[in-house]
Amino acid sequence: MKKKVVSSLLCAAMLVTMVAGCGGSGSTDTNTTPAGGDTQSAAAGTEAGGSDAASGLAYKGDLEIMHFSTEEESQGNGGSDGMRTVLQQWNDANADINLIQTVYANDDYKTQIATLAAADDLPDVFLVQGMNVREWAKQGLITDLTDEIKNSPYSADYNESYFTPFKDADGKIYGFPVLTGGTCTVVIYDSKAWADAGYDKFPSTWEDVEAAVPKLQEAGYKEAIAFGNSGQWQMNSCFLSTLGDRFTGPDWYQSMINKGGAKFTDAEFVAALAETQRLFKDTEIFNKDFNAISNEDAREYYISGDAAAFIGGNWDESYIQATLKEGNEELFNNTKFAVLPQPKDAKYDENGQNIGLGYAVAINPKLKDDPDKFAAAVDLAEYITGPVFSDYVAKNYGLGGLTKVADPDLSSLDQMTQDFYNWSYVDTTPCEIYDSYLASAVWAVVNQDLQDMVNGDKSPEDVAADAQKAYEENY
Amino acid sequence: MLQKSKRNKKILVALYLAIPLIIYVFSVFVPLVTALFNSFYDWKGGPQKTFNGIQNYIQLFQDKTFWQSFGHNIFLVLFCLVGQVGIAFIFVLMIDSKLVKLKGVHRTFGFFPSTISAVCVGFIWTMIYDYNRGILNWFLNKIGQGDATKVWLNEPGLVMLLVSIPLVWQYIGYYMVILLSGISAIDKEIFESAEIDGANAVQRALYIVFPLIKNTLLICITLCIAGNMKAFDNIYVMTSGGPGTSSMVMALYGYTVSFKQNNMGYGCCISVAIFVLSLLVIGGSQKLFNVLLKDKGVD
Repeated sequence: MKKKVVSSLLCAAMLVTMVAGCGGSGSTDTNTTPAGGDTQSAAAGTEAGGSDAASGLAYKGDLEIMHFSTEEESQGNGGSDGMRTVLQQWNDANADINLIQTVYANDDYKTQIATLAAADDLPDVFLVQGMNVREWAKQGLITDLTDEIKNSPYSADYNESYFTPFKDADGKIYGFPVLTGGTCTVVIYDSKAWADAGYDKFPSTWEDVEAAVPKLQEAGYKEAIAFGNSGQWQMNSCFLSTLGDRFTGPDWYQSMINKGGAKFTDAEFVAALAETQRLFKDTEIFNKDFNAISNEDAREYYISGDAAAFIGGNWDESYIQATLKEGNEELFNNTKFAVLPQPKDAKYDENGQNIGLGYAVAINPKLKDDPDKFAAAVDLAEYITGPVFSDYVAKNYGLGGLTKVADPDLSSLDQMTQDFYNWSYVDTTPCEIYDSYLASAVWAVVNQDLQDMVNGDKSPEDVAADAQKAYEENY
Repeated sequence: MLQKSKRNKKILVALYLAIPLIIYVFSVFVPLVTALFNSFYDWKGGPQKTFNGIQNYIQLFQDKTFWQSFGHNIFLVLFCLVGQVGIAFIFVLMIDSKLVKLKGVHRTFGFFPSTISAVCVGFIWTMIYDYNRGILNWFLNKIGQGDATKVWLNEPGLVMLLVSIPLVWQYIGYYMVILLSGISAIDKEIFESAEIDGANAVQRALYIVFPLIKNTLLICITLCIAGNMKAFDNIYVMTSGGPGTSSMVMALYGYTVSFKQNNMGYGCCISVAIFVLSLLVIGGSQKLFNVLLKDKGVD
């Protein structure tokens, strides 16, 4: 009899566990961790410094937010650290609201949010990528926030250009751009190595880079520039997006975004593809294994001194900076930044680099049913993208957010941070990040084709034709 | 009283059995039926779906990447049938031989790779194939074949073979254990009398072991085909299906379409196609296997 009772209890326990397991992944006050994620009910307050978060909201209860600023990521990454800091401040200032954070690593976040969107089970507040905005807006998955943004207490300080990827064809805005405005294409180079090869600054044309290769090889460098494209997106985000702008100019891409008649098959864009293919396939500028290694592997070539330069995004820069600061003072002091060199036949701005905010804080339209909760969500979105965040990342990391910071005091930051700030926001011209716009289905096709193209297995014309087909079918 | 106790026991057994059944239904049957349902919709993720009949299936038949992926899966199946089950069969015969000492050690070390997650195996072999620091290119350089070094995972013609090798390495031990259990059930006297009759090792393997472990072998083949038709993790880690689509397999393509292209309806259609094609390949191989063995007079 006793055995039966025990078995029945165990049985019941298993069933309860199963049922609980089938439920949502982040709706408890405890520190339950869903698969791959980290759910935390941030009730315990920590002094995050000078909280002036808005309070006095009418809403009382749970408010979910899903993001990808993990604790690990925030070590050295200004955007993630800033995000976690302002979230904590807002939570502290709104004691009646139980802010439930579900945090995933970036790759997992993309899969998870796509799954939740498919199931129409998105959290109250979440981060949306520019390339998904139009489709998700059409599906009714994200709220039109145009009026809220216009009426935001910080609207005068907003950097308006950052909103562009989050607008639909009618100009409605669906999110508060979040995290830091960082470049996706920066040349990080060892100024001493290039000076020894005869260049006081990083070469401004690809011809000069090609001419420098033998000299760098003689000096013991295995490669001039390290690049990694095993994930397939890097060639697009961290190379073509800027190089393309040099050939097509900004109007062409605006026309692509607005369906204004521009095509991927236009001669200027095909020329950009052809130049990309030439640089990777026919020259010895890049490491031979660029298609088989990731950007994380490629930046190690630079850190270890095998490569005299590296091309990547701001996330690579923060990693390289943190690593060199700890372990290689000489290279840390010699590291400088440059824009992509100008191709011979390119006619447009040679000082351009693609910079922007790739994600925006979006709000689940279901919250409209509860105006108080919606107001709380808007308040949260405004706060975590507002001046407190921008000031924090400017002061501590030399980075910029959605709101402008007038003459930030960078004097307490090291030289490399100051250099990168000036390079990112002052000395260069911004251009668009291709995959912040259009549709993910388009970029999945383009990215796959680009990998074949730089191997020489597909012609630039075929890549352009495939891209145009995907564009017409999906955008 | 006795009858009541029996009835209670039956209820308890049914209750216990209901747990795995419920798990199975929710994790396999329900998703499969849902995928079939959604495969008839134009669904980009989200609450809005448009019924488009068999449009996704028409697209599937014309989708070169999908059929290329199917071809890669078939390659994987054939390569792994020979590599995993074939080599495992040879290893089993060797381990089962009287000449081999420390059989337990061989068994343990043989089985060890199949306990490692496919993602780790993918990382290990990515390091082996690495252009600058990989052991393969290092070895080629050491033996004076520096010209043969390559960026291995960037070779469209070789990449399927290269991503298959880790799968073979990982699962030999797994099939070895299954086959060993089959062989250990064979009466040793049969081998002794065959030896007395003058049968050599190859003849014993072909005419005694092979027919007597037919059912075990069939299980191994079925498992091998099923496993390789849904191959995903190590390829995802090693190449993400690249360069281009040179190592794309069906499950990875389904994932890419569903989650990178946000095309859930077509992704569901691909999942259904994987299920149907896998059933066809498994059923076909079983029929073929039975026919081949019947020719040899084995029932």
